[in-house]
Amino acid sequence: MKSIISRVVSTLLLLLASSLAVFAAIRFSGGDVTAARMPASASAEDRELFRRQIGLDKPILEQYVTYMGNFVTGDLGNSLTSNAKISTLAGEKIRNSLILGGSSILIVFIVGVPLGMIAALKRNTWIDTGVTSFSVAGMAIPNFWLALLTIYLFASTLHWLPSGGQGGFKSLILPALVLSAEGIALTVRMTRSAMLENIGQDFVRTLRAAGLSERRIYFKHVLRNSLLPIISLAGLRVGQVVGYALVVETIFGWPGVGQILVNGVLRRDYPIIQFFSLLLVIAVTLGNLFASIGYTLANPRLRK
Amino acid sequence: MKQTPLLEIQDLSIGLKGDNIEYDIVRNVNFTINENEILAIVGESGCGKSLTALSILGLHASPPLQITSGSIKFGNRDLTKVSQEDLRRVRGAEIAMIFQDPMSALDPMFTVGTLLRSAIRAHKKVDDATAEKISLECLADAGIEDPRRRLAEYPFQLSGGVSQRVMIALALVNNPKIIIADEPTTALDVTVQAQILERLKDLKKERGMSIMLITHNLGVVASIADRMAVMYTGEIVEIGSVENVFGKPQHPYTNGLLGAVPRLGSGSAELIPIVGRVPQPDNLPSGCTFVDRCGRAVEKCSTQRPELVSQGSVDVRCFNPFK
Repeated sequence: MKSIISRVVSTLLLLLASSLAVFAAIRFSGGDVTAARMPASASAEDRELFRRQIGLDKPILEQYVTYMGNFVTGDLGNSLTSNAKISTLAGEKIRNSLILGGSSILIVFIVGVPLGMIAALKRNTWIDTGVTSFSVAGMAIPNFWLALLTIYLFASTLHWLPSGGQGGFKSLILPALVLSAEGIALTVRMTRSAMLENIGQDFVRTLRAAGLSERRIYFKHVLRNSLLPIISLAGLRVGQVVGYALVVETIFGWPGVGQILVNGVLRRDYPIIQFFSLLLVIAVTLGNLFASIGYTLANPRLRK
Repeated sequence: MKQTPLLEIQDLSIGLKGDNIEYDIVRNVNFTINENEILAIVGESGCGKSLTALSILGLHASPPLQITSGSIKFGNRDLTKVSQEDLRRVRGAEIAMIFQDPMSALDPMFTVGTLLRSAIRAHKKVDDATAEKISLECLADAGIEDPRRRLAEYPFQLSGGVSQRVMIALALVNNPKIIIADEPTTALDVTVQAQILERLKDLKKERGMSIMLITHNLGVVASIADRMAVMYTGEIVEIGSVENVFGKPQHPYTNGLLGAVPRLGSGSAELIPIVGRVPQPDNLPSGCTFVDRCGRAVEKCSTQRPELVSQGSVDVRCFNPFK
């Protein structure tokens, strides 16, 4: 319990630190903020006026304090490009990203864990070889290429699925699968090796000697012991999924946090970058927090 | 008085089969376990005693190890021939086994209570209350003082001695006829060792069960066993009652083993080690496997393999035993 509380506190500190880092990074990254709103013919004076309007002439620390002050009172600012309130934009983007990311993480474990178990159970057979080869491929193929490949095959050639956009379940399939590919591959390997390691443990022999069925030993005891590394992997996966979401959402035109963030960066839309990149940091740290809480709950040594 | 054999092992050989290797590790082993007795199998590390024990319940690592000849008769069945499912029904229910290192032999993710309940339910359909009742009884029988508290504990919370008692309880839950104990005290403190052995001896009396005790510790044998078999390089070289084997060892190896144990009150203070080394199982002498280390070897010892034959009180595998 104590370890969970200290985890929560350190997570909050981490969020604060990363908000500062993101804030500074945007301001030092160069590019012209006025290009988002003003025509190319705008005069230097007008551009300077615009910078002053949005407070960019003030010292960076003061800007940060103002921003955080607004942030905690719920004022997230407006997009420089469309002038839309970020708080209204955020809800839909977050929901879309949660749908995509959540289904991806679900797919990773629903597909990856059983495949890894089968590979371990049928070790050194063609089934095992097949599953492990697929998982090597899953790790080696970059997801942007896999995305283009699936669009070419399932959308432009076979016309089974839409190539992008957010139009219900059908349009979710391709981006969710592409986003899951590497996670499935890693989970398969992790599950397989953890199962194989545990099946050789002394306690398995004891359970056999007590007359437990192989199925029970495998699915209850060996799986339960293999769960810990799988849960740790889940925490790392959240970070990966968030990172890859930028690429996958952009390619598939999925209107989520990743897509708006990439567009924001391209247009130097400071408030947008500011808020949505912080959102990604929150997603990653929350993912890790949940994973370590899950790890603690699943491990009797830490729970007691 | 002729005793009824519960388990009869006849001409059992267990071989290692790999890509380029093939040789027997356990060779032509014969022995019986009778009702309500403790049989000790004694020998050095690597002599095949644990492998023999594991093979009774089909728990040896197969492949690469496999039974190459012989039979294991239990009741009217031959355990080397029954299906995996039939073997599973024997495990824990009729013949149970306890192992050497109790700390790693218990599943760390489950409480003692859950482990005991799983073992009970592997053979019987019982409700939680009955399972708990049996568990508490068996923990108490295994010599655990506060059994109810232990039910909720995880293996990592237990000491070595308590873990071993939990293992014994795990073996007792289905009230088997035979318990095979593979070096049950080797990993424990000396004082705990004595308590565990005492417990096993009492269980034989209270429950009328038989125990096959694998050990390399002759002191353990002397204190609790009824009969003993001495193994060397995968063979039984001498088998008989503890009294007879200890009183008048006939095989030179047994004699050497006993001579290498310090004894209080014996005349000579000097220990006599057995000279030489144990030959490797893939490179055994063609005759008696003890010939190179034996002081009593005669000519045919290096050419002919001796059979296990009765020499009055004990059976001995030797051409020139001590008389």
